[in-house]
Amino acid sequence: MAELVLRGLSKCFGEVTAVAGVDLTVASGEFVSLLGPSGCGKTTVLRMLAGLVEPTAGAVLIDGEDVTRLPSHRRRLGLVFQSYALFPHLSVFDNVAFGLRRQGVRGAALTERTMAALALVRLGQLAERLPRQLSGGQQQRVALARAVAPAPRLLLLDEPLSNLDALLRDEMQIELKRLQRELRITSIFVTHDQAEALSLADRVCVLREGRVQQVGTPEEIYHRPASGFVAAFIGRSNRLPATVEAADGAGAVLRLADGTRLATAARGLAAGATVAAIIRHHAVRPAAAGLAGTVALRSFAGAQVQLVVRLAGGGELVAQCATGTPGAALAAGDAVQLAIEPADVFVAPDSGTA
Amino acid sequence: MSAQRGIGLLLITPLGLVLLVAFVLPVLLMLPTSFRPYTAGGPAATGWTLDNYTQIVTDPYFHEVLGRTFTMGAVVTLLCLLAGYPLALVLARAQPATQRWLTLLVVFPLLLNLVVRSFGWIALLANHGLVNNALIAAHLIAAPLRLMYNLTGLVIGLVHILLPFMVLVLVAALRAVPRDAEAAAGTLGAGPLKTFFLVTLPLTGPGMFAGSVLVFVLSISALVTPRLLGGPAYKVMATVIYDEFLASLDWPSGAALAFVLTLIALIIVAAAGLLTRRWTAAP
Amino acid sequence: MTAGAIAWPLRLAAAIILAFLMLPVLVVVLAAFSTTDYLTIPPAGWTLRWFVQVLHDPVYLQAIRFSLDLAAAATVLAMAMAIPACYALHHCWLPASETIAAALLSPLVFPAVVIGVALLQYTAMLGLRGNFFVLVLAHAVIITPYIVRTALAGLAGFDPALEEAARVLGANRLSAFLLVVLPGVRASLFAGLVFALITSFDEVTVTLFLLPPGQATLPVTIFTAIDLGVDPSIAAVSTLLILATALLLVVVERFAGPRRLL
Repeated sequence: MAELVLRGLSKCFGEVTAVAGVDLTVASGEFVSLLGPSGCGKTTVLRMLAGLVEPTAGAVLIDGEDVTRLPSHRRRLGLVFQSYALFPHLSVFDNVAFGLRRQGVRGAALTERTMAALALVRLGQLAERLPRQLSGGQQQRVALARAVAPAPRLLLLDEPLSNLDALLRDEMQIELKRLQRELRITSIFVTHDQAEALSLADRVCVLREGRVQQVGTPEEIYHRPASGFVAAFIGRSNRLPATVEAADGAGAVLRLADGTRLATAARGLAAGATVAAIIRHHAVRPAAAGLAGTVALRSFAGAQVQLVVRLAGGGELVAQCATGTPGAALAAGDAVQLAIEPADVFVAPDSGTA
Repeated sequence: MSAQRGIGLLLITPLGLVLLVAFVLPVLLMLPTSFRPYTAGGPAATGWTLDNYTQIVTDPYFHEVLGRTFTMGAVVTLLCLLAGYPLALVLARAQPATQRWLTLLVVFPLLLNLVVRSFGWIALLANHGLVNNALIAAHLIAAPLRLMYNLTGLVIGLVHILLPFMVLVLVAALRAVPRDAEAAAGTLGAGPLKTFFLVTLPLTGPGMFAGSVLVFVLSISALVTPRLLGGPAYKVMATVIYDEFLASLDWPSGAALAFVLTLIALIIVAAAGLLTRRWTAAP
Repeated sequence: MTAGAIAWPLRLAAAIILAFLMLPVLVVVLAAFSTTDYLTIPPAGWTLRWFVQVLHDPVYLQAIRFSLDLAAAATVLAMAMAIPACYALHHCWLPASETIAAALLSPLVFPAVVIGVALLQYTAMLGLRGNFFVLVLAHAVIITPYIVRTALAGLAGFDPALEEAARVLGANRLSAFLLVVLPGVRASLFAGLVFALITSFDEVTVTLFLLPPGQATLPVTIFTAIDLGVDPSIAAVSTLLILATALLLVVVERFAGPRRLL
């Protein structure tokens, strides 16, 4: 398959900078996710890769070949649209065969390769149907088959699972991962769902306002977020305004609005600075000793139990415990002690959007 | 981007060229003709004169023609508005099945030949036409009413031609009125009539204006219907132009009148556009 | 207005107005069957002889032939020019696309009589008076707005992702247009085509000034026939025209849906 390099890729629409200097290298056969909130530029990056949008600056190289100025139809990529974009006037078979026909494949070879692509997504029996006769999940699989049938060197997916309901989404996630492994095709997919990104991708590229915030494996992103934004975006977190009371080489002490003190392992903080403390829900653990508080609300979410705890000083923290642990047995009104590791307290520069 | 600009220009060139050569240029070339003096038998003449234009302003004959044309336009527009609104209302609010039928019935006359429609009116309005015969047979009148070769017949014919235009514009305007606004008025105590006058009608104001402008401009430019229902003696601007070019062969005079008609039409459309933009602009 | 219910006075008014719209059409159709040499309604007797007369009349037959040729030529020319232009405008490949689109629709409100006399003078100057091709061009100019309007509306309602998908799958712009966009907007284009054909066929005002000597379109023939005196044969040929128009309208509505008519 192909290696992809993005070098300083930028796009400005008039005065608005949608993408600012994105650098990324994707190894052959890798499954990379572009993750970020709406408007962060991830879809624009994907469309520049596909050749549907012309970059203002920067380059796209596939296997060393500079394709930045190459028109879409010559890049040999596969693209799965968020809306699937199946051709309504063509049957499933003709949809999937479209790319092959453009390559000049005809006759027995055409039928064979089209049916093979349909077999990959297990929809061979629906070849004669029209798109409007298919369910959402089936349409998505046809879109996938259509994209991979012409043996593209790169597979691009634009929020492929966002239009599916939760159950179908989980199924398709596994299917997608399996397919990618089997075909060993270099893939980039765009999503705003961090859980999806973490579970599917080999590496995740977090974007915000057109800039790369961090690139790493799901574990790296999750456990060692490079900034307060990444920490807050990944996983579910508490976000508390605080001031830095004291800081040294090994960390700092934060003072929350209600007077509670938190120790953090974050370095490079200036004493007196206004910051936001970011603590993942599951990093807040009911323990034998720690911050004192009372359980204000308890909600049961199947595998997890969520507790909203009102601290002695008046502030609130959300804690998450796995069902079956002692913390999950707590009820509203119970007194509780919360332990938080300093390494789990991330700091964002201001208490605004960070 | 510039490659796209180039291809875009290429794609629009054939159309642009034809419009230029077969539309804009011929119209512009009439301008010099309108400043030439009249010579019997064709356009070739020397010298320049403003007579063709001044006669429009000074000659009472032209006053009459212009007055008649604009009166006709105003009356037709008003009638189209009054008759078109109820029909548009019913069409816009009808159930989908009925809507299909009604749309077909309203669009059908639009596609039907002008001449055929005017012919139908001749059969109805002539002295021995259907209407007069029916009225005489019912002993409501003794002598036939003069319904043709005058403003009456002309107005009836033009209203018939232009009503569907007005209806279609109004239907579009009515579709854009949020039904919730009317429902809200209802909950606040306004009955259907009040709601209509206080909510629906004002919201369709721009639509009514657009429809009126369209109908007015089309009626003052009409040739076929005035010729058939008004006859050769009852002249409006378009029929005068027709006669000057094909009968009396006074091309300069015809050209001048044509330009005046064009100018009036363009000014009305442009002014209407400006006004509409001002009214519907965000505060 | 309560949801769904429409007051009966309104319905009555609408019915009366609709009757008004249909009245002359009905009159013409009825008059075509009259046994008398002049029009009486209701007809004194029923006969088809006027239809027979019209269908054997060489003047009418030639006029129908001429009208069809003219309409077909003008429509093909207009479609060939307008569709690429609309495609470019839709993708905003030209500056001030909206203004240009509005300008392309201008022949709709421009006084037809002025176009007629302008072209008359123009062709006289160029020595092309009565030239068939000039007539075709004039008709193309007049019917272009109908095609532009429906084509732009159709393209606007077309999902851009479909064209993009085709391009990424290896189709260049032209292939993508032919294989994916055209099939997608064919209903709109069909409606525009039929309207253009009918408009060209029905056109009188400009045609009056540009006809080749000795030739006439059907509407112009009827127009001059009325000037000479009204008789049921005019009603008969008009009825044929009414039937043809009604048929085409039903076909368009079936194929393209009622929305495209508006």
